[in-house]
Amino acid sequence: MTTFTFATGRYQSGDWDAAPLVPPNLIDSVARYTTIEVAPAPVIVDLGSRELFRYPLVYLTGHLPFRFTTAERTAVRKYLDRGGMLFVDDHNHDIGGVFHQTATEELTTTAGRLEDLPNTHELYSCFFQFPDGPPATSHELNGWGDNLVHDHLQAVTRDGRIEVLYSSKDYSSEWGYRPDTKRFLAVDNTRFGVNIIVYALTR
Amino acid sequence: MRSRAERIEWALRAAALAGVVWSIWWCVSTGAGSGAEVAEPGAVHAALARWSTTDPVSAVHARFESVPDGVERDWLRALRGAGVRVGWSTGATTLVATAVDAEPIADPRGVVRVAVAAPRGAAVVIGDRLGPIDSAPGSRGGIVAFRVPGPVSGVRAAVGTVQATAGAIDSLAMRRVLVLAHAGWEGKFVARALQDEGWPVDVRFGVSPKGDVESSRSFVIDTARYAAVVAVDSGASGHALALERYVASGGGLILGPRDVAAVPSLAPGASAPETRGLAELPDSAPSSGLVLAPVVKQLPGAVVLERRDSLVTVAARRVERGRVAQIGYEDTWRWRMQGGDSGVAGHRAWWARLVAAVANVPAIERDPIAAADPAPLATAIDRLGAPSVLAGGGRRGADEELPAWLFAGIVVALVAEWASRRVHGRR
Repeated sequence: MTTFTFATGRYQSGDWDAAPLVPPNLIDSVARYTTIEVAPAPVIVDLGSRELFRYPLVYLTGHLPFRFTTAERTAVRKYLDRGGMLFVDDHNHDIGGVFHQTATEELTTTAGRLEDLPNTHELYSCFFQFPDGPPATSHELNGWGDNLVHDHLQAVTRDGRIEVLYSSKDYSSEWGYRPDTKRFLAVDNTRFGVNIIVYALTR
Repeated sequence: MRSRAERIEWALRAAALAGVVWSIWWCVSTGAGSGAEVAEPGAVHAALARWSTTDPVSAVHARFESVPDGVERDWLRALRGAGVRVGWSTGATTLVATAVDAEPIADPRGVVRVAVAAPRGAAVVIGDRLGPIDSAPGSRGGIVAFRVPGPVSGVRAAVGTVQATAGAIDSLAMRRVLVLAHAGWEGKFVARALQDEGWPVDVRFGVSPKGDVESSRSFVIDTARYAAVVAVDSGASGHALALERYVASGGGLILGPRDVAAVPSLAPGASAPETRGLAELPDSAPSSGLVLAPVVKQLPGAVVLERRDSLVTVAARRVERGRVAQIGYEDTWRWRMQGGDSGVAGHRAWWARLVAAVANVPAIERDPIAAADPAPLATAIDRLGAPSVLAGGGRRGADEELPAWLFAGIVVALVAEWASRRVHGRR
C-alpha cells in the first residue's frame, strides 16, 4: 500500500524548523494507533520545489513573519489545486502575533479566505472522537500565552474538503517532545494529530 | 453520275434517318423509357402522391438533390411492389456512404458517444434538433468519434450532402462507485478523481484493526447499489466472497496490482514484479513514469486494454455476468500530483474510462425514433437499387431539349429534301 511520509515544509522566510520533534512524534502515533504504512523518517521539502508534489500533506510552523516567495506561492497554489493539503500551526501562543498576522494574510492571498471550522467537522471524528472540537493545549490553559482557549481551528475549504488547516493553538509546542515521553501521559495529546493525518489520507 | 442536287437530297435523307435512329436509341437508353414519368428534385413528394392516386403510371424516375429520405424511399419501394418500374438518380456529384451511431457511455454526466462513418478528409458535422454540436474531418480509419455531453436527442451527422440520423439513445441507470483501500493517497485520489467526474462515490478505507473509515453506513457490495467497485492498496482483502458474488451478478470490478491475490478467481491475469518508476514524472506522459506491475499470464478470454511499450498495463475479462479489469500501475495518485498542469485532468479521465469500461449500468430502453435513418445511402440502395444513369443535374436539361431540337432538325431536313426535288421538277 502507499507509504505515508510526514513532510515539513521549508519556506524562505521565518523559522520553518521551529518544531523538529513534532514529525517523529506524530509518526510514532500513526504507527502506534493505525495500520497506515508510514515511513519511519520524516522529510523536509522546499515549498517552491517540484518535490513538494510528492507529499500531499505538508506541515508548516514557525514563530516569525511568514511570507511566501513568488515561486513558493505559485507552487503552493498548484499544490492545492491538485489536491494537496497544508497544516499550518502558529508556534506562538498569543493573539494577533506576528506569525498569525502574516500567515493568515499570506494564506488568504494564496489559497483563499480562512474561516472557522465547525467543531462538528469530520476532522474531529474521522478516527479519534473530539466532540468538543479541537483539543486545548497546555499553553492555552495555563496562561503562558493569551490565557484564552481558541474555540475553533480555521480552514480554507474547496468542495467541502480542507485544503489549508490553520491552528493558533500551538500544537507545535504541545506535540514537541520525544515519543518515549508519551508513557507519562494519562491521555496521549497527539491523538488529534493522528486525526489530521487520517483526514488527509481519506478525504 | 448523280448531280450535285441529288447528292444534297441524299445527304438530307440520311441526316433525317440518322436523327430518327438516334431518337429511338435515346428513348431506349434513358432508363425512364417510353412512358416513364420523371419527378424533379423538390417535387418528388407531390409526384409520388399523384402516381399513387390520380395518375397511375407504369414507370417512374425520381430525381433527388442527394439521397431519398425514408418516406420517399419507402414510397418508391411500395410503388415497385405494386408493379411500377422505378428508377432514381441524384444531382450530387458524389454520394458519401455515411452512417451514424449514438450510444450512451457509463458516465454520470450523460455523455454520448457518436460514431460517424466518413471517408478520410470529408467534413463531418454532427448536431441535434437544436443545431450543430461539433465537427471534424474524416480520418484514416473511416470512423470519426465524438463525445457529446448529454442530453441529446435526434443526433444527426452530415457528410457532404448526405445526412444520417441516429436511432434512439437509451438512458443508463447510473449507480454509485465503491472504493475499497487501505488509508493512503491512492484510495483517496482515486475516489476524488471519480467524484470530480460526477460519480457518487462511497469509500471504505482500512485505518486500524478496530475500524475503517466509511462514507456510508449502508455497506453492502451489491449491484443494486454499486455500478463498480475499485479495490486498490489491498482494499479487497477480507471482501473476496462478497466481490465474487457481486461480479457474478453483473458488477464491475477494478483490481489494483496488490489486490489480485485477494481474489485470484476474478483477476484477468497475474501481476509480474514491479518495474521501477521515475522520481519525477514527465509532464508529456506522466503514466510512463509510474511504478508498473505488468499484467501477465492473461487467462483465456482476457483482453488487453492498454499497454506501456510491450508491457500490459490494463487487462479485462468477463466473469459470469460481470466484468473485471486489472491494472498494473501503482500509486496512480502521483499522476495527479506530479503530472504537470494536465495531470489532474489526465488522471481523472483515465480512471473515468476504466470505470466506464466495467461499470454495470443497465440501459433504460426508449421507444424507437421513427425518423431515424442511420445509413441513408446504404438503405436507399438496398431498397431501390443503385441510382440510374440519369444522374447529373447539368445534363438533365440538355437531355430533355434534345428530342425537340432533333425533331425540328429532322423536319427541316425532310422539307428541304422535298423542296429540292420539287424545284428540280421531280416528285
